[in-house]
Amino acid sequence: MAEYIIRRTFQMTIVFFLFLVFSYLLFNAIPGNAFSSLLLNPNLPPDAYQRVLEIYGLDKPLLERTQMYIVNFFKGDFGYSYKYFPKTPIELIAERLPRTLMLFSIVNIVAFYTGFFIGKVLAWRRGSKAETWITVTSVFSYTVFYPWFALMMLWVFGYKLGWLPIGKFLYPEKWYDAPFDSDVVFTSMIKFTVVVSLIQFAAYLASRGIESLSLRRNIRFVSLIAIFIGSYFYWNNGEALLQKPYASDIAYHMILPVMVVTVVAFAGTALLTRTTMMEVLKEDYILTARAKGISQKRIRDRHAARTALLPVVTSFIFTIVTIIDGSVLTEQIFSWPGMGQLLLQSVLEEDIPVAMATFSFVGVFALIAHLLADVSYSYLDPRIRIKSQG
Amino acid sequence: MSKDVLVVKDLNMHYETLSGDVSAVKNVSFTVKEGESFGLVGESGCGKTSVAMSLLQLQADNAKISSGSIKLDGIEMVGMSESELRKVRWDGISIVFQGAMNAWNPVVKVGEQIREAIREHYPNNTKIQNTEKIESLFKMVGLDSTIMDRFPHELSGGMKQRAVIALALSCDPKVVIADEPTTALDVVIQDQILKEIKKVQELLGLSLIYISHDIAVIAEMTDKMAVMYAGSIVEKGPTSEIFANPQHSYTKSLLASTPSVVGDKVKLNSLEGEPPSLIDQIEGCSFAPRCPNRNTTCHPELDMELVEVGPDHFVDICSASRN
Ligand SMILES: Nc1ncnc2c1ncn2[C@@H]1O[C@H](COP(=O)(O)OP(=O)(O)OP(=O)(O)O)[C@@H](O)[C@H]1O
Ligand code: SF4
Ligand SMILES: [Mg+2]
Repeated sequence: MAEYIIRRTFQMTIVFFLFLVFSYLLFNAIPGNAFSSLLLNPNLPPDAYQRVLEIYGLDKPLLERTQMYIVNFFKGDFGYSYKYFPKTPIELIAERLPRTLMLFSIVNIVAFYTGFFIGKVLAWRRGSKAETWITVTSVFSYTVFYPWFALMMLWVFGYKLGWLPIGKFLYPEKWYDAPFDSDVVFTSMIKFTVVVSLIQFAAYLASRGIESLSLRRNIRFVSLIAIFIGSYFYWNNGEALLQKPYASDIAYHMILPVMVVTVVAFAGTALLTRTTMMEVLKEDYILTARAKGISQKRIRDRHAARTALLPVVTSFIFTIVTIIDGSVLTEQIFSWPGMGQLLLQSVLEEDIPVAMATFSFVGVFALIAHLLADVSYSYLDPRIRIKSQG
Repeated sequence: MSKDVLVVKDLNMHYETLSGDVSAVKNVSFTVKEGESFGLVGESGCGKTSVAMSLLQLQADNAKISSGSIKLDGIEMVGMSESELRKVRWDGISIVFQGAMNAWNPVVKVGEQIREAIREHYPNNTKIQNTEKIESLFKMVGLDSTIMDRFPHELSGGMKQRAVIALALSCDPKVVIADEPTTALDVVIQDQILKEIKKVQELLGLSLIYISHDIAVIAEMTDKMAVMYAGSIVEKGPTSEIFANPQHSYTKSLLASTPSVVGDKVKLNSLEGEPPSLIDQIEGCSFAPRCPNRNTTCHPELDMELVEVGPDHFVDICSASRN
């Protein structure tokens, strides 16, 4: 396995290098002076302008410039934003990334779980009325024109009913005298979510070896309760208590985008799960499991769904790759100032260093996600585990 | 006299299909005693698997048991609720499925799949107890205990099949059904597996229902047997008695088409024609269209009934032939 990962990493580095060269050339092929937006920046002192030109060789011929860019890139120097001059692309990304990650990891987790759950229930209840209706609904949300749907939801919930805020990720007036940046709150929200998931996962792993099923269930239940109590104490003490009103403001703003994207995103998982599950349910080992006297729920979850998970996880990881490019549209519609908006703005304003940095980030993200898909697939399917070793 | 473990009486089961009801099991009755090996033989499609599935009530969704009774240790199983059935399955009756090669979930370790069954029926066992149980089962069927941590695709066909037998024995069932357990295996392995089943059956004093289309195997494996044709039992009795003194024309044809049993290489008298469609109602003798003895001694148009012709030996004959 290790050898496989190393080999893949090597291939990925080459792919990434080519990607970098081509995108740089492409950006510089945009008509006009490649650094005109730098020149137009009123905040930029003239001597700084000269220095930037020199360091990054912006007045050199294209090939030489590309070469310099690549070298600097691998040294970890991404230049300065033309638009927000003293800021580097890294600083801009660091500010935007948590917002995007927060929104879309929640969307993806929610969408995956609801999709997988609905899919397996649909397959299990094949032929019932509910199955027909939910399948039809899923097909609708799978095929609906997403921007239209998002705007409709904004209109209904934000404008007509007025339940949820329209756009933005916080109420600026509320944050006017906030003692900290929104980034700080975002980061601690992400940390919280990650810690909670890790604890839950650890409880799951730890209880897996227990022979008695009822004890296993009880332990998992207790761990869930413990997490709830723990969360309550966490948000009502110390630093977190101060952040709480702001965190809940952000959470409130997240409801609508999470809901809308989930409704669109769950359907793919649900329909795929349904189809694969129905295939798996025909297998002989499902009959064996029934003959063994295993409960219906356990057959559904441990035998049928477990095998059906394989293609679903793969397709899901491929959709994770689209988190950031998908976020361009979503963030534009919901005025969510994340990576997607940064990407769009930097391209429109020809802020090449920022655009390059964000694109590279997306590229690296995509490559790693693909690797992850392969690795997790081979973990989930023991039949592949052997092959990938060879 | 050992007691009756499984008593099946007048069992009727049909599949509902678009072109009509397929009567796969018609008025089937038989009894399996403790420690006895019972054989069910018949051509492909005669309803053997349907009988097996009805015993566990694991029939396909379109199958209905319309009447009859299945008593395990005196307890009626027809009409049991799903949760009652779950308790009986594997603990009361376990099965080695036809084509058991695909009986293993490919993504779960073999040991874990056996453990799962034991856990279901003996929830208070400790992990070590279960491991020891599986080790002893593996030993009995001639498998190494390290197989426990293997995935199904890492085992050969024969090993998988041995493991399936271990799985079937894992909850000490009262009755084990073996539905053509050797179909997908090559001849040498088939023989080994048969010996293994025979050995285990005698060792544990199991009540075994052995299903096969090969009457030679039935001769080797069973004490009592029943011959099925088109959903009905046409002859049943002690295996030795039926081989020595077959009464029904279909049984005779089956025996005649199996050279290894007859001994000398007699001319293979293979049956011509197809069994009747199970959708149509059959009046009188269902074997009549293919029967070599037709119209010489019998009245195939009359109602047929199982009649005792020797000690515990029953044959399906028409009302006119009864004396
Ligand atoms: N789900 C079903 N729906 C409709 N008909 C079915 C179904 N399952 C089986 N049958 C039919 O019922 C009859 C009996 O089938 P069964 O599988 O019990 O035969 P079998 O004796 O086990 O045959 P084989 O030796 O091929 O395994 C066959 O004619 C078959 O076509
Ligand atoms: S009743 Fe007649 S036709 Fe039917 S099997 Fe017997 S001999 Fe043949
Ligand atoms: Mg069969």
